[in-house]
Amino acid sequence: MTDTATQQDTLLQATGLRKMYRMGGQSLEVIRGVDLSVTRGQWLAILGASGSGKSTLLHLLGGLDRPSQGSVVFDKQNIFAMRGPRLDRYRNRHVGFVFQFYHLLPELNVIENVLLAAMISRSVPAWAGARSQQRPRALKLLDRLGLSHRLNHRPAKLSGGERQRVAIARALINQPDVLLADEPTGNLDAQTGDQILEVLQEFHQAGQTIVMVTHDHRIAQAADRVITLRDGKLDPEQSEAS
Amino acid sequence: MYKLLLILKYLRRKLAPLFAASAVALCTAMVIIVISVMGGFLQMMRESAQRLTGQVTVSSDLWGFPHYEDLLDELKKVPQIDAATALIRAYGLINLYNNVITIEAVGIHPDSLNTVTGYRETLYWTSQHLLDDIEQSMPPAELRNQREQALYESRRQRFEQIDLRDLGMTFTPPVTRPNQQPQPGIVLGIEVNPYNRRGHDGQYDIATSSINSELTLTLIPMTQRGTVMEPSVRRMVVANEFKSGLYEIDANRVYAPFDLVQQMLRMDEATQVNPETGEPTGQMEPARTSEIMLRGKPGVPLDELRQAVSDTVDAFTAARPGLPYLRVQTWRDRHATLLGAVEKEKMLLTFLFAVISVVAIAMIGVIFYMIVLEKTRDIGVLRAVGASRGGVMSIFLGYGLAVGCIGAGVGLALAASVVYNINKIQDFLTQRFNFTMWDPTIYYFDKVPSQFDTTEVTVIVVVAILSSVLGALLPAYLAGRLNPVESLRYE
Ligand SMILES: Nc1ncnc2c1ncn2[C@@H]1O[C@H](COP(=O)(O)OP(=O)(O)O)[C@@H](O)[C@H]1O
Ligand SMILES: [Mg+2]
Repeated sequence: MTDTATQQDTLLQATGLRKMYRMGGQSLEVIRGVDLSVTRGQWLAILGASGSGKSTLLHLLGGLDRPSQGSVVFDKQNIFAMRGPRLDRYRNRHVGFVFQFYHLLPELNVIENVLLAAMISRSVPAWAGARSQQRPRALKLLDRLGLSHRLNHRPAKLSGGERQRVAIARALINQPDVLLADEPTGNLDAQTGDQILEVLQEFHQAGQTIVMVTHDHRIAQAADRVITLRDGKLDPEQSEAS
Repeated sequence: MYKLLLILKYLRRKLAPLFAASAVALCTAMVIIVISVMGGFLQMMRESAQRLTGQVTVSSDLWGFPHYEDLLDELKKVPQIDAATALIRAYGLINLYNNVITIEAVGIHPDSLNTVTGYRETLYWTSQHLLDDIEQSMPPAELRNQREQALYESRRQRFEQIDLRDLGMTFTPPVTRPNQQPQPGIVLGIEVNPYNRRGHDGQYDIATSSINSELTLTLIPMTQRGTVMEPSVRRMVVANEFKSGLYEIDANRVYAPFDLVQQMLRMDEATQVNPETGEPTGQMEPARTSEIMLRGKPGVPLDELRQAVSDTVDAFTAARPGLPYLRVQTWRDRHATLLGAVEKEKMLLTFLFAVISVVAIAMIGVIFYMIVLEKTRDIGVLRAVGASRGGVMSIFLGYGLAVGCIGAGVGLALAASVVYNINKIQDFLTQRFNFTMWDPTIYYFDKVPSQFDTTEVTVIVVVAILSSVLGALLPAYLAGRLNPVESLRYE
């Protein structure tokens, strides 16, 4: 690959990211200068011990949190230079979050949870028009995830693995540029966790960019690039390699 | 779209919005019921007031004013005026069953008064009362022999032929005793006779009424300087009783024929005497009255009517020097203290309940804050999938709006069913628990008054809905301000 090609394939470019929390008089720096680039089509695993700042980093990449310093460039723009509504739109359109504890809305059934992200950017009349394309898309996604028989169930009726698959479908409904998964298998037994990894593998092979955070070496093996976060810093030898 | 979906889902799932909606419903219903009952009460008083004084009155002092017939003619020519009648007010005494009672005697022309105020409708006793009374005292099933049967029939037939209200209108006593000179009739306020008692249904019993009873009426004529002359005393027979709806009036007023009162007060036409010598001067003293009452054409505003009357009266007095001051008043002016008191009472009650409703707003605020706390993590999720602050805020505002609409709707329905059935509810409570909210013996109305004013009700409903949105405002704002990362960590 030429230099220019790599440049073009860079999806997210984080530079000098720092995140500080102030607790009482003390300040705690959780992310201490992270430079990171994610290329399109990559499956990147960020490995780190509990409390090393993985979730915080992921939230920063997804524009859910703002850093104390540094930038994340997406599509030639620093997302933190955007005003609130544009950042909301970035999260809605270009990012899909998957959390350790699934975080499905308990009042909504499976199909509604999946369609939620598709509804957010649309008004009631716009949704009336869009529903006819979005619903089949959601059904197809759920079918691929083996959940076709669960469409009208509420999250409380589903197993952990099923819930996580619904969460993945929800994250993917708007065809995001990057899927940000925060310990997606962390709350599941090994076997179910492997099933989730297989699902991610499948989407990755179809071209989905994934950034996955985990504290488990074994899980990180599934990714095609692994970097380690230690005390808010990336291990130097891995940082911009491979 | 997700906002609407979530609002609908949240409404269906939780007990909390049910509480909030119930609070809104109760407050709405309470305020509507109070306003309707007080409004009905006020409306009844207004109607009674107009039935007593017409719409506009022209009055002088007790001595009265002459040439009133000319003034009546002039007034009747005014295009805004529909009808007018003269009457005389005086104070005096009656002796009824050896009870001496001070009264206000009013001399009237019943038919023309009726065109001004609907006087006939205030006459209480109708022939139906008489018929009911014989049915009661001589139940047809219990008549033992032919003589009783015949007596019953003859009475019935006689009563069917007379119309007590007609007799009241002509001051004719219902029964003229044989070999007795016919005596002039009088109409008493229903509370003048101390034996008249309102039952729990708010009705009076004809058996204790003073109808056909003899009494003496004493009136005290005056000189123009206000000194008292020899009292006039007249035996009269009660032809009917009236109920105006205003207790103070019904307890103090009697109506008698205009000409009779005029004579008794020496306000009729007379030959003038020289006050010093006592010799007739050969000139005539014109007849006087003390008041003219009138009603405007339908649709004429009260102020316009009053102005038209004032103008006519001014022209009339300007042309006749020496007339006493003639005062033009609307029925509102005349009953200002009474109506003002009830109007203030209504406002006060409305205000009190509005204050109570502030508590309901606070309660909605607390309930919504609890909902926001409970939904903190979901709010984080919504933000993560791209919902904006405003979006999250509007979910809770919309939720408040929905709760307000449902609450106000239910409250309106509740209030309507209470207001429209308030007398049935009252009867039920009285019968079942012997508990009377609106005691007719105290409140002087045989029915609980109520009036559903669409404008007032609309305002209340809109305010209730706005209050709910207001109650949800702060929690909604806080929900929008939540930090999504913190929310996601929230367990
Ligand atoms: N709001 C906060 N205030 C103070 N410290 C925080 C806050 N959020 C997270 N932290 C701290 O930041 C560190 C990194 O947290 P996190 O990114 O969740 O780690 P990981 O996901 O790797 O377990 C932890 O030590 C945590 O206690
Ligand atoms: Mg974490």
